[in-house]
Amino acid sequence: MSQHRHTRMKAGRHGKAVVAGLFAMSVGLLTTAGVYAALSGVATGSEAVTSGTLNLTLSPDVGTSFSNFTGVMAPGDTDNVYVNLNNTGSLATAAGMTLWVAGTPANALTNGTAPGEGLSVTATQCSVAWTLAGVCGGSTTPILATTQINSMNTAGTAVGLSNIPSLVASTGKAAHVQVSLGLVATETSTNGVAPTPTIQGLSTTLAYTFTEQQRVGTATNQ
Amino acid sequence: MHHLHRSARRAAATAAILLCAVFVAPIHAGAAGKVSGTVIGSESVASGKWLATVSPAGMTFTTSTDQTATVANTGTIALSGISYKVTVSTPASGSPTFKLYTCTVAWSSNKCSGGAGTQVGSTFSKGPATTVSSTVAIAVGADEYLQVEPTGVTSSVTVTLGTSINPATQLRSPIATNH
Repeated sequence: MSQHRHTRMKAGRHGKAVVAGLFAMSVGLLTTAGVYAALSGVATGSEAVTSGTLNLTLSPDVGTSFSNFTGVMAPGDTDNVYVNLNNTGSLATAAGMTLWVAGTPANALTNGTAPGEGLSVTATQCSVAWTLAGVCGGSTTPILATTQINSMNTAGTAVGLSNIPSLVASTGKAAHVQVSLGLVATETSTNGVAPTPTIQGLSTTLAYTFTEQQRVGTATNQ
Repeated sequence: MHHLHRSARRAAATAAILLCAVFVAPIHAGAAGKVSGTVIGSESVASGKWLATVSPAGMTFTTSTDQTATVANTGTIALSGISYKVTVSTPASGSPTFKLYTCTVAWSSNKCSGGAGTQVGSTFSKGPATTVSSTVAIAVGADEYLQVEPTGVTSSVTVTLGTSINPATQLRSPIATNH
């Protein structure tokens, strides 16, 4: 019993000695560095720098932008909204952008539980602002072919939008985009009953998430 | 002995952390990241229903007397047509045949607004079910009226009617909404 306590005390003393030694070594290293700096002298250069900002905002191109679709959607219907994707920051963006669409609640309209059916999204860019009749007075560029939402309903499955040029904050900062929502259905109702699973009679709120990336970093020599 | 080793290891780890704190921090400060911007737009949407029921779904004939049924659009989308599945049972005797007519108003004295109505399909007799289609449009909540006209009934026979709606061909025309 007494021998054990003696061993523990001895071990504790050795541990403390090791800590003390290593701490002294650390202090010694730092002190040596400080002495060396003091002996080398100090030269100071001054440089001002400001970091840029990258802000993506959404605004109506024409109409009310994303809002509630009134009534009920039938297969083949299209719901068009017209939005501007604006780079309001001070940095240019890289070309391209990604989009994913989540439904709340998630159901057969957005999660693929009714195979081959559900909501789909198509996006088209116009070189100038759209009209509310869906007419582009300039040239149109497809940026997203018709895609089922169930294949792009998470951040991890976000799809890349094609043909979106870099958005430069000072000029040409907006992309005029028509976002078309459609409903794909193949199910036949029998004797007044919808099949199971079904996309009929469902509601959801869609969140369209657009993400842009900053331009490539540049090296400046001055 | 074990205690001695544990104390020494603990002391060495403490010292290592002290040293690392001095040298690692500047490395993290110099690391570069890429900035991204995100924006979210929100939109609510609801899907419609394409449903139709027929009542009564079964008609039993013991004589060659016309009988009627009512078809209701119980969904939330107007229909441009409905398919009917017609099944004729096997009677104990005879070979009765049946014709199916539709009308947009209720039948009165076997007439559709004084006329014969619109025939759907051809002639039905016992055997496998036959599916035929009507192209009469039915608004949401509205009805379509059927009349089954038999010929040659000599014993009890039952005609069963079912409905089906194919969204590709039997819904109202698509609508494009801009907002």
